[in-house]
Amino acid sequence: MTNAIVRSKRTSGTALAGALILVAVAPAARAATEQELEAKLDALATQVAQLQSELAALKAERAPSATPAPAASTAAAPRQVADEAPKLDWFGYGELNYSRPSDDGSRAVADVGRFVLGAAYRFDTRTRFVSELEIEHAVSSAEDPGEVEVEQAYIERAHGDRVFGRYGLFLMPVGMLNENHEPTRYYGVFRNAVETAIIPTTWREGGVAFQGNLDNGLRWDAGVSTGFNLSKWDATSGEGRESPLGSIHQELALASAGDLSVFAALNYSGVPGLRVGGSVFHGNSAQGQPGLRDNDVTLWEGHVRWNPGKWELSALSAHGRIANTAAVNLPLVGNPTLIPAEFFGQYVEGAYRASLKNGWTLAPFARYEVVNTASEYANLGFGLTPDALRDEKIGTAGVNLTIASGVVFKFDYRDFKRDAGLRGFDVGVGYQF
Amino acid sequence: MSRFEGDFLWPASVVAIAIVAPAPGAVAATYLTVEAAQRALFPDADAFTELALAPTADQLLSITDASGAQAPHGELRVWAARRAGTVVGHVFVDNVIGRADYITYAVGIDARGALLPVEILEYRESHGGEIRNKRWLAQFAGRTTPAELEFRADIKSIAGATLSSEHVTQGVRRLLAMWQILIRPAGGR
Repeated sequence: MTNAIVRSKRTSGTALAGALILVAVAPAARAATEQELEAKLDALATQVAQLQSELAALKAERAPSATPAPAASTAAAPRQVADEAPKLDWFGYGELNYSRPSDDGSRAVADVGRFVLGAAYRFDTRTRFVSELEIEHAVSSAEDPGEVEVEQAYIERAHGDRVFGRYGLFLMPVGMLNENHEPTRYYGVFRNAVETAIIPTTWREGGVAFQGNLDNGLRWDAGVSTGFNLSKWDATSGEGRESPLGSIHQELALASAGDLSVFAALNYSGVPGLRVGGSVFHGNSAQGQPGLRDNDVTLWEGHVRWNPGKWELSALSAHGRIANTAAVNLPLVGNPTLIPAEFFGQYVEGAYRASLKNGWTLAPFARYEVVNTASEYANLGFGLTPDALRDEKIGTAGVNLTIASGVVFKFDYRDFKRDAGLRGFDVGVGYQF
Repeated sequence: MSRFEGDFLWPASVVAIAIVAPAPGAVAATYLTVEAAQRALFPDADAFTELALAPTADQLLSITDASGAQAPHGELRVWAARRAGTVVGHVFVDNVIGRADYITYAVGIDARGALLPVEILEYRESHGGEIRNKRWLAQFAGRTTPAELEFRADIKSIAGATLSSEHVTQGVRRLLAMWQILIRPAGGR
């Protein structure tokens, strides 16, 4: 069609140019009589009318959709399409949920679990600032349970064409949820137990991180960051039993930083629909505090996700270790929660994403998890060494109903084998924009 | 003190490796220029003529219908690829929001209306950088209708780059709809 339009325009253009020449020349042709001129003008008028109607017909037949751009822009060397992106971008996500234990309605809870606003600002094509500010549990004050947290705040800089550097407070490239923790990204009202209790999602540290992506689908991450602080361990509370690393993380809030940590991750998504990867984190959590020495924390994990057709199948295994805990635990004997030497968790998950006719997606899913936040304690001697916890086995089944890209309603039932009192239904709504 | 120093050697070496690793002299996060993308998509073409699209209101409606949901788009440019004067295809260079910033990508559609592999020209944020994966981009090749571009079903999601992969898929659907409604030669498929 483009060609047709171009051709027809060219034809009409030639005719018009011819007409103009004729008209220009006409006065000079003194020999021509007035009648001859009138006849010629009439003929030209007819021609022009004909061309006009031809053009109109062409236009009607094939609407004037694509025409060559002005010569100036075609002649110009192709420039890189670029930098009209808004400099400042706002985004956010959140989740509201309701949990009802099966055997005790008095423990049912409704909550604005998370309300997060983020801002990203682009200084230039290579340099950006990224941040997220989070409010957990709606209200934060001395009397309320909420927390206000800076979840991310870093400068990102492109180094060359393959490497990005992050400088500041960033999310650790660990597991499948930590960097993609928005409620639209996971199945179930709550994040899985492994990536809550063992990997302390949303886990962030301050430091320097580098990331590279290769064309073959390989992504690598490596960095140096702040780490855990074992002096935060509270043997009198159950916090450490819920999440050993979650109870000693520092979140860059006046973080003790005498001992730095290192981390590295490798992920491969070169085959469409497949992601397989793993990560290792290692750092001393003693931070030079009294009574602590060489308490290296090591966390390693591997994960895989595969999308055959409308199925989404995932598995993850994470293991953690804290070194030289015996000397730290000895004075704490008698308290309810001693420091574990080892902890682990793993899960398998399957979901089927059915597209509904109205554009919604209904995704039933099931997940099976085994978690143990204290699978081993360092030997304190006979009668003093605590018994390792029994494995907690959690079965979750439910549906995610996505009604718009970025809006999901969720329903699930969770079954806990060890802590049966936690069994119950959950309902939630989540969004991301 | 000695413990600190010992621990610090590790991080220092990681930083050193990471900084040395990138190829020197490359332009930030620019993988392909428009010119290179044009040549990559239509190596046989001898000229690329830029087109100005001017859809009517009705055509816009049809495009919107066929495109489905879209993330925000930036500048769009279109060229007809010609070989000895004959149009052998079209090249679209579009900008679509990935997670927070634009991804610049090129889409080639051959004279029969079939997509070529998508090319990423620029990726401006580290998050979702997995979208550069060639095999993921090759999934688009050969598809001829927006209905064949259903995200997650026809075009796989990239775990860790879900938004970027979804938004580019949506964007390609829109460009294919544009080609069909605004450019497709009469009598073509």
